[in-house]
Amino acid sequence: MLPVALDVMGGDLGPRPNLAGAHAAVADGIPVVLVGPSDLDGRDGPSGTLDLIVASEVIGMHDDPAGGVRKKKDSTLVRAAEAVRDGRASAMISAGNTGATMASALLRMGRIKGVKRPAIATPIPVPGSTPTVLLDAGANAEVQAEWLVQFGQMGSIFAHHRFGIENPRVGLLSIGEEATKGDSLRKETNELLAATPGINFIGNVEGRDIMGTDVDVVVTDGFTGNVVLKTLEGGMKTVISALLGAFDAPEYKEHADALMPALLPLYSSLSPDTYGGAILLGVDGVCIISHGSSSADAIRNGIGVARDMVEHDITAEITAAIAATRD
Amino acid sequence: MAANKIERDEILRIVRDSLSDILEIEPDTISEGQSFVDDLDADSLALIELVESLEEQVGERAPDFRIEDEDLEDLKTVRDAVDYVFENAND
Repeated sequence: MLPVALDVMGGDLGPRPNLAGAHAAVADGIPVVLVGPSDLDGRDGPSGTLDLIVASEVIGMHDDPAGGVRKKKDSTLVRAAEAVRDGRASAMISAGNTGATMASALLRMGRIKGVKRPAIATPIPVPGSTPTVLLDAGANAEVQAEWLVQFGQMGSIFAHHRFGIENPRVGLLSIGEEATKGDSLRKETNELLAATPGINFIGNVEGRDIMGTDVDVVVTDGFTGNVVLKTLEGGMKTVISALLGAFDAPEYKEHADALMPALLPLYSSLSPDTYGGAILLGVDGVCIISHGSSSADAIRNGIGVARDMVEHDITAEITAAIAATRD
Repeated sequence: MAANKIERDEILRIVRDSLSDILEIEPDTISEGQSFVDDLDADSLALIELVESLEEQVGERAPDFRIEDEDLEDLKTVRDAVDYVFENAND
């Protein structure tokens, strides 16, 4: 397969975790091409010398997304998206500016015909089960009912290929399970989703269901989705810190040591690094958006997800699903 | 330059077709008086998609044509965009 293009300058931690993640992915057998400056250090490593597409600019974490893409045409993000568009890479991945990653992918790779708006799909960990796919996690602050239906279609395809879920259960995030609960947008969307073939729509779900096992894909607008995502991340971090703090007390050390073998896998299953990041669905290619603070492991996993989604040809499947419901 | 002049009607057609593609709406439903944001629900990314599409298509006839970023905030309606392209692609 063609290599996965990695924006080596993306993220809060600089090139180091990106380079380590790239070397690890190559060692796993996944071809990777870096996108970064010509004088980049660290291309040589345990997996050999990584290939490089030269890009002289970087769109910073605080740059305006669309403006950054317009002004910095030789940026790592723009060049990575162009590599996918031009058939030099199979997918792109970045831990950089989320908005600019989305803008680069949308403006260079283009939108799938018929897709109203791309959406960011984020796996939310569920202890002891497959994650729940939440979308939109921040691409579209304001949405229309038709767009949410498409999010349901795209999220369903992603959940199937990413987590092996047959006929994923799709829920609409609202403030009550009854179809009549929620604002006018949710009521209209509920009706449309129920009438759309090919989606296993189970009705409205509530915030408490997202980390449960009764739903596989949760559809919402990007404003709400981002608030949910950040609330869950912050909540989990606080609970984990509080737990570790409680275990730190000398009188509990022995008990804590005994519990750690059980708790560490649980901690790992709750870590965003495990899933490698989110995916931008609806653009004409595979684009993985990793967390700004991604570790080498997260980048390695994200590259693995990119490879899997390319191999499953998720873009073609979304294209066909959207076309089928337009006709 | 006169021989290569791009007529206003043609520019309107290009703007309509581009908006139709980007916003997934019928070209016939787009009129000159409509506001991108208030009437057509175009967000900032959709407007950048429009700008890039216009630069590409109009640029085939007027190679130096470009929509300057500082002019973007003045382009609020379909008419604003058509007038802007008409003036700047033909000067």
